[in-house]
Amino acid sequence: MTVLTDGLDITAQARYALKELEPDDQGTVMNEHAVETQTLVKRYGTVTALDRVNLQAPAGRIYALLGPNGAGKTTLLSVLTTLLPPTSGSARILGYDVVRDAAEVRCRIGVTFQEMVLDPLLTGRETLDFHGRLYRLPAAVRRQRIAELVELVQLTDAIDRPVKSYSGGMKRRLELARGLMTDPQVLVLDEPTQGLDPQNRVNIWSYVRDLNRRRGMSILLTTHAMDEAEALADLVGIIDHGRLIVEGKPGDLIASLGSDVIRVRGNGDFQHLATVATAIDGVNRVETDPADGLALIYTDNGSRRLPAVLNAISNNGFAIEDVTLARPSLGDVFLHYTGTALRD
Amino acid sequence: MYATYVIWTRHMRKFVQQTEELVGLALQSVLWVVLFGVGMRGMISDVGGSDYMSFILPGIIALSALGGAVGGGMVLLDERLRGIVKEYLAAPIPRLSILLGSAASTATKALFQATLMLIIGLLMGARLAINPVGWLGALVLLAIFAIGFSGLALGVAAISRSIAGYHGMIFLFNLPLLFASNALYPLSVLPGWMQVIVLINPATYLIDAVRALAFGVEATLPLWASGLVLAVFAAASMAFALSLFQRSLRA
Repeated sequence: MTVLTDGLDITAQARYALKELEPDDQGTVMNEHAVETQTLVKRYGTVTALDRVNLQAPAGRIYALLGPNGAGKTTLLSVLTTLLPPTSGSARILGYDVVRDAAEVRCRIGVTFQEMVLDPLLTGRETLDFHGRLYRLPAAVRRQRIAELVELVQLTDAIDRPVKSYSGGMKRRLELARGLMTDPQVLVLDEPTQGLDPQNRVNIWSYVRDLNRRRGMSILLTTHAMDEAEALADLVGIIDHGRLIVEGKPGDLIASLGSDVIRVRGNGDFQHLATVATAIDGVNRVETDPADGLALIYTDNGSRRLPAVLNAISNNGFAIEDVTLARPSLGDVFLHYTGTALRD
Repeated sequence: MYATYVIWTRHMRKFVQQTEELVGLALQSVLWVVLFGVGMRGMISDVGGSDYMSFILPGIIALSALGGAVGGGMVLLDERLRGIVKEYLAAPIPRLSILLGSAASTATKALFQATLMLIIGLLMGARLAINPVGWLGALVLLAIFAIGFSGLALGVAAISRSIAGYHGMIFLFNLPLLFASNALYPLSVLPGWMQVIVLINPATYLIDAVRALAFGVEATLPLWASGLVLAVFAAASMAFALSLFQRSLRA
């Protein structure tokens, strides 16, 4: 009887585990999401900084929160990193509640903050060593990690100099190394490349990608730069005015707009243009902005549909001045879902 | 708490490396004792049987510990305003250990200063009681006192929005502490109403105890009472600092 029950249990467990396993999980299967929030709300007095946010970032992926400054990104990260208690709702990191199991969460995450959070008087090595001691890492482990990380972020020559002599890019790299000192399962980066020159931005991107690909580290980052989200993210969440408006793979989000967009400038009856264009095979959607003399025609394949579209439009008395064909960007996604362009 | 120790070592490493702060504190001690002590000695030859230098030295030491506490609060305020404190907040350590680390480093600096002042005071003619246990007791009480005022300063630093605001608030309790105490004059010469105010001031208990322990002056207040008052003061002010610090984190 007992044996039978045990056998059933094992089978059930195995089936359960199989269901969870996805082919691209590379062996690091986890039942939990790296980050998960449920109707998360944060209010400051009467200001609602986070409005019922439901975010799900799977383990082992790079998730980018994209939104303008003041959208609530930093508030969200503060709640997730246990710095701020939520007003209501809940947030979990690797299944641990950020309020109830704050200590468990803190042991498992590495964080870099939006502002440079470095003591100018300490050297780079002291900064890293002190951080390791705060987390009770043994001296031998600290020494080894420092050696590895200094190599990774290319600070070998500067590591024994005081931080005040570092450039902005070097400070960022040191902060990244500090976030990695404790070998976190989840790395949280708030605007990791803000204020950096293009070369340093690309460097940081390549470290982030490496950490994710080679070590399977889950990474949650915020950015207000579309190119950053496009360059790094497996998943993007668009946030504006404290609300998570949509989340998904960047490719899917862009593809949902239609694979190509034909931008037509000209004069004529835009309403009629929209009716005519929508009827064409392969056209998903038409958005017009008569005030600007602009029509956006989203299609499944721009170059294939272009002749049919232009033919139909000009046959109906619309004077075309300019036509461009482009792939939609995350910026178009942002505009589509929020109704406004991504402002800085 | 291990984290307290780690934060203390960080502050100490910076203190030792930063020669300006080290030299500044040392010079401050020398100037206090030499200028103030010598100036007042010209006016007053002795107080209640002991020479004025011996009388005033515990007061100067207590007041310089106050200055140290204000500086300790400044460090926390600076780390708060610049966001550095977030590194501690995201780490798996108790909030209290952050404050205790600051208070412990303030107390250490106060002890360093006190030792210097005692040495200079002796060179200037103060007469120390030959009582090593008493000296040790005096230093322990000084450390507790420094932690107590660190608590007040840290509490104010936890809620101040700017450096100017911090100094404004600190000034409110700093000045009365000097004059409403037995630092400059003995308790017995004060009118009754002022004695009441002076007895509310924790500095009074420290100064009286240090005079008794290190300089062999007869204590005006029972030693055990002074110790108890200082211990309660330190515990209460750290609780005050923690509650304000936690409140500032919820906002």
